[in-house]
Parts: sequence; C-alpha cells; structure tokens
Amino acid sequence: MPAELVEVEGHIIDSLILAKVLDLIVAAGADYHMVDVRIGRTNTDPSKVRLEVRADDEGDLVALLEELQVHGANLVGELDAVLEVCTDDGVLPAGFYATTNLPTWLRLGGHWYPVENPEMDCALVVTTNPTPVVRTVPMHRVIAGERVVTGREGVRVDTPERPRGATPFEFMASEVSSEKPKSLLVAEVARRLRANRERGRRLLVVCGPAVIHTGAGPDLARLVRSGWVDVVFAGNGFAAHDLECNVLGTSLGVSVDAGTPTEGGHSNHLRVINEIRRWGSIEAAVSGGYVTGGVMYECVQRGVPFVLGGSVRDDGPLPDVRTDVVAAVDQMRQHVAGVGVALMLASTLHAVATGNILAAGVETYCVDINQAVVTKLADRGSRQALGIVTDVGLFVRDLAARLDPS
Amino acid sequence: MSAQNAWGRRYLMCPPTHFEVLYEINPWMHREVPVDPDRAREQWEALVGLLRQAGAEVEVLEPRPHLPDLVFTANAGVVNGRQFVPARFRGPERRGETPHAVAWFAERSWRVDELPEGVAHEGAGDSLPFADVLVSGYRWRSDARSHAPLSAITGVPVRSVELTDHRFYHLDLTFCPLDDRHAITVPAVWDRYGAAVVDDLVPEPVVLELDEASQFVANSVVVGRNVVMPACPPRIGRILEKWGFEVAVADVGEFLKAGGGCRCLTLALDVDLSGRAARS
Repeated sequence: MPAELVEVEGHIIDSLILAKVLDLIVAAGADYHMVDVRIGRTNTDPSKVRLEVRADDEGDLVALLEELQVHGANLVGELDAVLEVCTDDGVLPAGFYATTNLPTWLRLGGHWYPVENPEMDCALVVTTNPTPVVRTVPMHRVIAGERVVTGREGVRVDTPERPRGATPFEFMASEVSSEKPKSLLVAEVARRLRANRERGRRLLVVCGPAVIHTGAGPDLARLVRSGWVDVVFAGNGFAAHDLECNVLGTSLGVSVDAGTPTEGGHSNHLRVINEIRRWGSIEAAVSGGYVTGGVMYECVQRGVPFVLGGSVRDDGPLPDVRTDVVAAVDQMRQHVAGVGVALMLASTLHAVATGNILAAGVETYCVDINQAVVTKLADRGSRQALGIVTDVGLFVRDLAARLDPS
Repeated sequence: MSAQNAWGRRYLMCPPTHFEVLYEINPWMHREVPVDPDRAREQWEALVGLLRQAGAEVEVLEPRPHLPDLVFTANAGVVNGRQFVPARFRGPERRGETPHAVAWFAERSWRVDELPEGVAHEGAGDSLPFADVLVSGYRWRSDARSHAPLSAITGVPVRSVELTDHRFYHLDLTFCPLDDRHAITVPAVWDRYGAAVVDDLVPEPVVLELDEASQFVANSVVVGRNVVMPACPPRIGRILEKWGFEVAVADVGEFLKAGGGCRCLTLALDVDLSGRAARS
C-alpha cells in the first residue's frame, strides 16, 4: 500500500489541527499510523506528531497529502530504495534486502511500485521495462548485472491480515486447533474453497504419504476428478504409495481395504516404482493402462500439474521426481501464481518448502495429527497458516463429501 | 466586568500617496474600478483623526511608489513586545513592501526575527491576539505551516483557524478582539475546527452574518472602549453599546476597493504577549 510520512507541529492539539488532519485522512478513505507523538507539557509548548499515511492508490495518496499540507502537515522526506548491481551469478550484494512473504512496495523515483510476487527469504530485483518492475528472486537465481535492493530504505511492507468474517477461525487465536469441533472447521474450509473458486483463484494441495496410509487417497482423487484441485506438490513417497495403492491395493504393504499386512508387502512400493521407471513416467504408465486410478492418475487424466520433489531417503525414485531440490523448488514457484488457498495435508517438509514460496495473502490450512508440524510451519514465517490438528484421512473424507456430494 | 485590551493605543500607518488598484490579488480588487486619490487621502486622514480622538498614537511609515498596498500596514508583520516578525507575502506583488517595514523597525532598534523561508505569513492581518494567544488564520495568504515557527519565534501559543471563504482571505476580516471577553467573529467563514477553537477561546462573541461581514464590520480598530469601524449595522451597534463600547464609523470606501478596511490600514505597535507592556 503506498504510504508516506508526514509531520504536524505547533499548537496542534489546542488548535484542533491534529484532529482535523486525522479526520481528513479517514474521510479520504485512507489510513494512518502514529509513528511518533510528542505532546507539549504546557500550553505554550508545541506538540509534534509524525504520521504514516497510507492509501490504496498512489494517486489518492498524493491528492490527500496535498490537502494535508494546506493544514500544515508536511511530508517528511521519504527516500528512494537503494539499488546495487550483482557482480556474480547466484550471489547477492552483501547488504541485500531479505524479503518477507507480505505484500511489499518499493519506492523508486518518488513513486511506489508493488512487488509482483511476494516470497519470503528472497532478494528484490528491479528491471525497467520501461517503468520499473520489482520481483522477488531467490539467491541462486540472480544474474550478474541485475539490480538488487540493498538496505531498508524505500521498502514498505503491509501489515499481515487474517482471513476476515464471522467464522470458526475467529476464535482460533492460537492458530492451531487441537480442541476445536472438527466438523465445523471442515465446513469452514469447504466454504473458503468455494469462495476461492468463485474468485477465480486456484487451490494447491500439498500431500504427505499419510494421506494414502490413512485411506484418504480415493477421496482426494475424487476431489481432483471433480475439478477442485488445481496443482499438487508432493514427494516420492506420496506418489509411490498412491500408485502402489492403485496397482496392488496396499500402502507400504498394508492393505488399504482390510488394514492387514500383506505377504512380502514391504517391497510392494519398490516393485511399483520399478515398473513406473520402466514406463518412463507416471503419465506414460497411466496412458499405458498400468495405473487405473488414484490421485496421480486423476492428475494425469485432468491435466492437473504436479511437482514431485526428491529427498535423500527416497526409494527409486519415481522418474517424475526432481532430485535436484533447487530445481524442484524453482518448478514449484512456476505453479504458485494465482493460488488462493493451499491445503497442506499431513506433510512436513513439502509443506514448509511450499510455505516458503507462498505470498502471505494465500490462505493456508495445515492439517496434521501432529501439532508440532503445524507449529513448525507458522514458526518459519508462514504466519497466514491456520492449523487443524486431526486425522488427515477423516478430514479429506469429510471435505470431499462436502465439496463433491455425488 | 470585562477588561480593556492591553494593546491598541499605538499604530503604524502609511498614507495613501501611492495607493491604487494595480493588480488583483483578492476578490474585492478590480483594476477597472479606479481609486480616487483625493478621496483616499481624505478618508485616511479622517481615520487617523478618529484614532487620535479615541486616544491612540499614530506613527507614520513613509509611502513608496509602486507599492500601493503599503497602506495596509496590518500585513507588515507581527509585533510582540519589542520584537517584529516581518511578513512573508504569498504573492510577489507585495513582497517589495517587506524591506521598508523591516527598515522602519530596525531603525528604531526593534529586534527583527524572520520566519523561515518557504512559508507564507501576512502579519497581523492573519494573527490577532486574544487572551494570551495569537489567533492565526491560514489558507489563502498565510500557510498553516507558518504557525509553528511563528509560535517558536514569538514564544506565544498560536491557535490556527482555517479561512474557508476566499472573500475573507485574511483573519482580520473575520475576527476582531474587543476586550478580554468579547470579540467580533464570523464563524461561517471558518472551518468547524477553527470555529470550535474560537468558540472555546472567546466567552462572549458577537457573531456577524455574512452580509455584515461583507461590509468589513470585523475589520475594525479597537482603542480601549472605542471601536472605529468601516460600517456598523444597527444590530451590531446596539450590542457593542450594551457592552460599553463607543462606536465611530470611518468611511474607508476607497480602500474597500482593494479589499481592506480600518484594521488593514493599521498595525498595532503595542502588542505584547510576553506579559511586559511595550508602551513607551
């Protein structure tokens, strides 16, 4: 949000000048924040107040500031951002500005420009084309010659906002709910997913293998099939067990229907991974008829993009898994544009990785039986994450029943 | 019983030798309406006579060619004790007046303290004392931004009042302190904050209607219990008499052509808000 600092001084309390200035700001639909207030002790002492004035639009702000100046509120010289040129690929200037995931604005040549893709722990790169464009860029992706913001001058970050409305989430002051009625929360998530779709925003689902272990695979597959899911992030485990489940009926060797271990089941997922490797890709295995159902199957059938990120303990891995994790996150970045809601289902590492690249405005619901996972995501800076501590199998089943009652 | 103003018995005035309407910097000025120099001179001398009759001393600022509005000495600056804070005129037309005013005060060993550059303030025309504060108008001629430095320089608290009607471009067309309880006010041409501030400050105002204000009724000079006014509607006259004032009307019709009345033609030299009387 464009903002400027203004200062009013003098006998502004007794002259009602301060009251007038504040009233004018509010009447203009803008907002203010008192940065510094010094009230004179006696009626001959002057007072001095420094205000940060914010408006939705730079034009509105300029008009308001002109009006405020008539009443003695002076603009305090705000400085432009400082830019420094990168000298090496993948290395930032020493004093680079490290981003948050909040909406961020940059001041250049006296004007405020929004950061196009807020993402935490990145640098801000400015290109001019012909007006300045400000993007977040992760450290490894900067190129020598690019101009990077250094220091904090001319950088403004908007305050975080929680989802609004009279909802069960309003009493979730703790951000993590282990003691809340779950069906209410599921109903609220379903309502928010509908609202998200009506706004034309996309739904991202991040899945851990427990989704399959708990038997929620078919329910999630149903959500993909009915068009609710727009993009899927997961690891080798989730995809392998989803495929295992649909080819052999087990998840990590345990029958998903009967809940009993099957003989030699411990190697089931290895055999399925091996066959998919023979097909060359999940897509090829689906079109070849080797895989006939499940989440990955529905993704291929509906053209829902998925990114499978690798890790050091992966079996196989599946041919679709990106074993270069830096490349994997870069690929994930390409799919987060337009995402309005992220559902983190029983995933720790992929949930944190995804949280890192999401803007603060993305509503994030983190479902896990383990409260620590939910807390971890919030602690890493994804403050917009709301946690629901519950069994992911029950959660997904209930959610699918509400969104796709057929 | 109310106490008379402690100031208003010594004035600086400038004869209208070079007075005419050469430019238009307020809605009252029209270059096609010529000033009659003889009538102007007669009116000015009659005003001086009335002020002296009321018990005031008048000192004279020498008129200068090409500075027609030098007659409006109220705008020369702000007086406080032996301190003179020269005006910073908003428009270039009147800026040439300031060196002459500064020279007059400096030659008489007054301390001259200037407002910072970049702010506009048009002297006593926009700053009148009431109780122990300066009521200061802003918007058309003086800047609100000038009020904080004015207060810092004089050590006097300033109450800012926004003037909302261009016809009443200086505070002294809308406010006239009569004594420590009474003042002539025109809240209709102030914004609601300024109106509230003056309402809080003045225990018993006489509130002018717009048509009365348009006759420059508030642009009056108060000398003790005498009020010298450009015009006095009967309603106002009765109220002032009830409060113990004696009214004299001075015809200043030639000066109204330039948007100035009795008060505009005078600068009180005995204002002292630091508590020490400056009467010599």
